[in-house]
Amino acid sequence: MSREHRNLLIAWMALLLLGGVEFAGSFVHFSADYRPLLLVPALVMVGLVGMAFMQVRTGPSLSRSFSVAALCWLTVLLGLGMMDPFTRAIYAITH
Amino acid sequence: MSEEIAPHVHFQYAGVRHQADTAIAGMWLFLATEVLFFGGLILVWLFCRHWQQEAFDAGARETLISFGSINLALLVTSSFVYAAGLAWIRTNQVQWLVRCCWLTAGLGGTFLVLKVMEWSIDLSDHLFPAGPFKVPGPEAGGARLFWSFYFVATGLHAVHMAIGIGLVGWVALRARAGRFSAAWYTPVEVVGLYWSFVDIVWIVLYPLIYLIGRNP
Repeated sequence: MSREHRNLLIAWMALLLLGGVEFAGSFVHFSADYRPLLLVPALVMVGLVGMAFMQVRTGPSLSRSFSVAALCWLTVLLGLGMMDPFTRAIYAITH
Repeated sequence: MSEEIAPHVHFQYAGVRHQADTAIAGMWLFLATEVLFFGGLILVWLFCRHWQQEAFDAGARETLISFGSINLALLVTSSFVYAAGLAWIRTNQVQWLVRCCWLTAGLGGTFLVLKVMEWSIDLSDHLFPAGPFKVPGPEAGGARLFWSFYFVATGLHAVHMAIGIGLVGWVALRARAGRFSAAWYTPVEVVGLYWSFVDIVWIVLYPLIYLIGRNP
């Protein structure tokens, strides 16, 4: 087995492990406000797929720029989109 | 003129690697637009759950976590298999690339079959957001929003999967015909980027759909 294949195998096992961690974590009871923390293993998995399978780090610099740009614009999209809801006071509806 | 440099290399490139890097950068630019496309869906999830958290989570509790989890394992494995095939073509082992492509397409096809089975169960459980709905009472509105998100997100992902399976099958056929070698395999790299991106989308959708709303 080549070194590249061994690294891919390690990345695959790490991905399955992280998937298992978030699956198991979903059965632990904690506040609904903190449930989005279950996204953390998923974000690590995204990074791992990017590094191991898509070879972001060793790829052409232009493609690295586009991948970083995608993350920046996603942050802008989600940040601007949720700025109002996250900072607005929620009042109970009275009839 | 392109033949003077090397087969497959067009005149404006200095060599095979230069052309391949350009193709890869082009694919990344396309994937950046896809990130924003699916980013809109993530924004919808954030917005709807923020305003109607309990009802939205009540909808999420009706999802079939076993299907979602098996599909996560299938997709992660398929990305690994395709990347292994890509590593083999770099050492000119074309037959291994062909095998990996067919296995990848098979895993992707299994994903889609499971997805259709899951949709079928969801529909028979009255979880389609229009018409008679399973979740009753004051939580029905937010739960319907969740299931709208669910069908749009999984439907769009399934369309991307189907396109990806077609592309991987095309790579397998071209590889079997001897069109790729260690000297030139740019389409294999570009299709691999797309396939891994489809995998990434499911990695993000999985907790949003199946895990976060499921508070035991």
